[in-house]
Amino acid sequence: MSLLIYGTISSIVLALYAAGFSLTYGISGLANFAHGALYILSGFIAWSLLNQVELPYFLSAILSIVISGFIGFAIYWGLLLRVRGIPLAELVVTFAAGVAILELLMWKGFYGIQYSLPLFVEGGIEIGKVAVDYQRLFVIGTGVVLVILLYLFVHYTKIGLAFRGMAQNERTALSVGIESDWIGSLSLAFGSALAGVAAIVILPMGLMESAIGYEVLIYALAVAIVGGLESTPGIIVASFILGFGQVATAKFLSAKWMIIVPLVAIIFVLVIRPSGLFGKYKELEERI
Amino acid sequence: MKNKVLLIFLAAVIGVSFSVIFAPSMAFSSPAEPIIVGVPTSIYTPFGRDGLKAVNMAVEEINAKGGVLVGKEKRPLKVVVSDTRDGEPTTPVHDALMAYEKLILEQKPHATVIAPFRSETIIASMDLVAKYKVPQLQTIAQTPQFQVKFRTDPEKYKYLFRVTTDAAIDAGYLSGALDALKADFGLNKVYFIPQDTLWALGFVGVLRKHCEKTGWQEIGYEPYAAGATDFSPGLTKAKEGKAQVIAMVWDVPLGAGIFSKQWAAMKVPAVVVGFVPPMAAPDAWKTVGKDVEYSIHVEFPVGASVPLKRLPKTVEFLDKYQKKFGKLPEAAAVNSSAYDSVYILAAAIERAGSLDPDKLVTALEQTDYRGVGGRLRFNKDHIIVFDSNPEETGVCVVFQWQKGKRVPIYPAFLAEGKVALPPWMK
Amino acid sequence: MAEVGARYRKKRLDRGIKARADTIFAIASYKEILYLLLPRALPVITLLVLPLLLRGYWGKVLVYSCIVGLLALSWDFLASCGLFSLGQSLFFGIGAYVAGTLSYYFHWSPVLTLPIAFLGGGLISAVLLSPVLRLRGVYFAMVTLMMPLLFMKMIETTGLLGGSHGLSALVPFPNDWVARYLAVGAFIIVLFIFRRVINEDYGLVLKAIRDDDRAVMSAAINIYWRKTQALFVSGAVGAFAGAFMTHHYQFVGMTVFALDYSILPLAASALGGPGTFAGPALGSMILVPLSETLRALGGLRIALYCFILILSVIALPEGIFHYIERKYHQFEKLVRIG
Repeated sequence: MSLLIYGTISSIVLALYAAGFSLTYGISGLANFAHGALYILSGFIAWSLLNQVELPYFLSAILSIVISGFIGFAIYWGLLLRVRGIPLAELVVTFAAGVAILELLMWKGFYGIQYSLPLFVEGGIEIGKVAVDYQRLFVIGTGVVLVILLYLFVHYTKIGLAFRGMAQNERTALSVGIESDWIGSLSLAFGSALAGVAAIVILPMGLMESAIGYEVLIYALAVAIVGGLESTPGIIVASFILGFGQVATAKFLSAKWMIIVPLVAIIFVLVIRPSGLFGKYKELEERI
Repeated sequence: MKNKVLLIFLAAVIGVSFSVIFAPSMAFSSPAEPIIVGVPTSIYTPFGRDGLKAVNMAVEEINAKGGVLVGKEKRPLKVVVSDTRDGEPTTPVHDALMAYEKLILEQKPHATVIAPFRSETIIASMDLVAKYKVPQLQTIAQTPQFQVKFRTDPEKYKYLFRVTTDAAIDAGYLSGALDALKADFGLNKVYFIPQDTLWALGFVGVLRKHCEKTGWQEIGYEPYAAGATDFSPGLTKAKEGKAQVIAMVWDVPLGAGIFSKQWAAMKVPAVVVGFVPPMAAPDAWKTVGKDVEYSIHVEFPVGASVPLKRLPKTVEFLDKYQKKFGKLPEAAAVNSSAYDSVYILAAAIERAGSLDPDKLVTALEQTDYRGVGGRLRFNKDHIIVFDSNPEETGVCVVFQWQKGKRVPIYPAFLAEGKVALPPWMK
Repeated sequence: MAEVGARYRKKRLDRGIKARADTIFAIASYKEILYLLLPRALPVITLLVLPLLLRGYWGKVLVYSCIVGLLALSWDFLASCGLFSLGQSLFFGIGAYVAGTLSYYFHWSPVLTLPIAFLGGGLISAVLLSPVLRLRGVYFAMVTLMMPLLFMKMIETTGLLGGSHGLSALVPFPNDWVARYLAVGAFIIVLFIFRRVINEDYGLVLKAIRDDDRAVMSAAINIYWRKTQALFVSGAVGAFAGAFMTHHYQFVGMTVFALDYSILPLAASALGGPGTFAGPALGSMILVPLSETLRALGGLRIALYCFILILSVIALPEGIFHYIERKYHQFEKLVRIG
């Protein structure tokens, strides 16, 4: 029973990590290696707003999500526009930006037990002899709501449809009047905001530190690659596979092997089927 | 046009940074040349950060009295720091060693204190120290590998001294607390969660043997990788197995903090016993929360962060520290040994009458200093002897959080209270 | 802005001496010979003389720059073949562990372990990465990013090969001079070999694979075999760098797979100019001493590498070396139109 519950929690956490990354890649083909850094950064912004500017928790959370959206927008507009079209240069720039942000935070001294966000609601309930705290239930709730909202957004709103148009065929989208620079910046903004949402719900369960940023990036990459870089059902299925895989490994083997699961999964999938489980098999672009 | 601006900026960044090379890095000689004490450690960890503060405090006190007598003249002490960054999870050991070597080659310290944080860096630095012959008094690393390597070539490694405990000693003290729990309350189910590094495994290994001998039932033994960020599987297993005691040994700040939070969130009905710095810190009541109540921690040696009424020197040290820096030191280790090691060094220099490394080593071996940590003397492995009498040896203490205060409970002559059982365990 | 551009244009002319020094006329007089020889001889002579001048700590920095230079050169070799790797630390770590294990368990000296690590490391890297050779661009980069991490975690988890404690007290070099000149010598040799090879037929095929692999395939050349060879060469050079560091510091631990060893060559290459080998070499000679002087800033150094990397990619994608080369061979002036 505990395997089921903690497996589900793990899976939803992974899905939340990967949602922003997958959205950005799906829309603008940009593999945002700064995802982990933006995750931690929104956590710290929330912490600073809460502890130093002394805003109420709810307001700090919302503000930090909005601010990370702006930061994502700024990164695209300032840095990535200039290297647009050279895929490897984009990758290098986002990667370097991510590492720079994380190392700056570490240098500024953002580590230690005092850097943690408080839980939303203290306490927990028992589900069939397994204690689950309210924060974890909140995570599950947020994950489900987010996926539903994302689906509706991408299929039924004007901007969402514009995103999908850009992803399908940029030239045609341009000729219909969807401006690619603007949409690209918005995609990174949305990706960062989603990273912020994930950070706000997940970080209270632990500490904030730059090392977590690298971990989140690996998990997001793992889920996105296993599930297929642009598909939403892919993220969900992949996160469940990886989440349950990790928890089962911890239960039946030993906890030390937990981190090996996503790494091996990435390499395995990339060798056998690079587009992932649900990705469209793009033979020409991926393989030679 | 814009690219030109960025280009100029890039050139400026490189140029400014290069000009730092030509900045004078020689220490200009003052009337009495200072004795240089190097501190190559990881300032990122609370051990390094607060230990450095303790060292600075000791240096200031000694300098206020005129300095250290070397032969015929009194010379002040000067601290030079090099951040080895080896507490950070991803720093390569080579990098840490480079930082150490830079300190030795550029600042030419006469001795170093505190020393690197991670066990592998310390072991690797032993060869470095032997090569450059700079006496090192390490006060952080607890790995038993130090003695093993020392014994392979005592003449080569004679410059290395350890002014703190090692894992086996800490575990010995904690065993006493476990005995009390068993004797007073009949607890007998234990779950071990050690950090997967040699010193923590050694620590828990001693505890395990003790528990086996004294009739404890081992529910589980699960080492976690040092970079672990999720302890829920282990905590779930402990809860399912109805463990009454969770023995946890961890030093990496990230994992320890996350464990504290998860243990509080999951409400496992077991007493935490071991070494979890964030839960043992003075303000853990605020930062981790009231859930730290009833957890039992070992502090090595005494005076690191808990003032003990029976040992006035600890109260004195911690008072001075608090007055100077505003709050008590955070970690339950290193601080008092760092403070003591400066005094030990000063005493050895005065005994030797010179700063020559070999003479200094001989003088250090003769150390007999009554410090904050007890009576400090080195044995033939260059380690401080720890036992249960502060008049003869160094001592450690085990304390428990009770009603918002940290109450020492073991050894008996230091105890200010008895071990208590949480109400939800009765 | 647009109006100004219409009034002036940049005019580039070859310098007189370049025109005179082309092909066979290069040996026409001493001036021409010097013109061609100096840019090549000067760095070599400087690098050979520097170990004598720089003592103590800066000597060590020189060695470290040469090692990073070797990693950057190996990165550039892969990039010339179209394989963009974010994980040079994989090669570095493999070489380090091969040398470390041989030295620890069998007490072999560097004379034996270095060649074995060189060849063995190259072989192991080629074998490990060959299944993913069919992947393009982003995917290959992601695999190379994950692999060193996987190795690091595997070693930590299984505790093999010293586990998290590492292997220490390994056999050092007989003396410091040997170490320094070995590093400098290897660096110079690899630089010149790579520069020569890339302009020979073999290198041209590699560059063609980068530009358009289908065209090369249609010329009946097996590109996978060529790419595997490129991986072998690059891996061997990286492994040599790792093995050297192991013996230099007498220690190998799981942190040899750290991100630092992947980012540093990347930043050095981006700064110096990818594709020209001399660029990455130049870049590492600038970046490493720079970062050592800034050691006081602690973690800020890595942030600095990243800044330099980003700035180089955006502002100066061709790299410093191309810029210098252009200035050396040509002069530019603004000429008014109309």
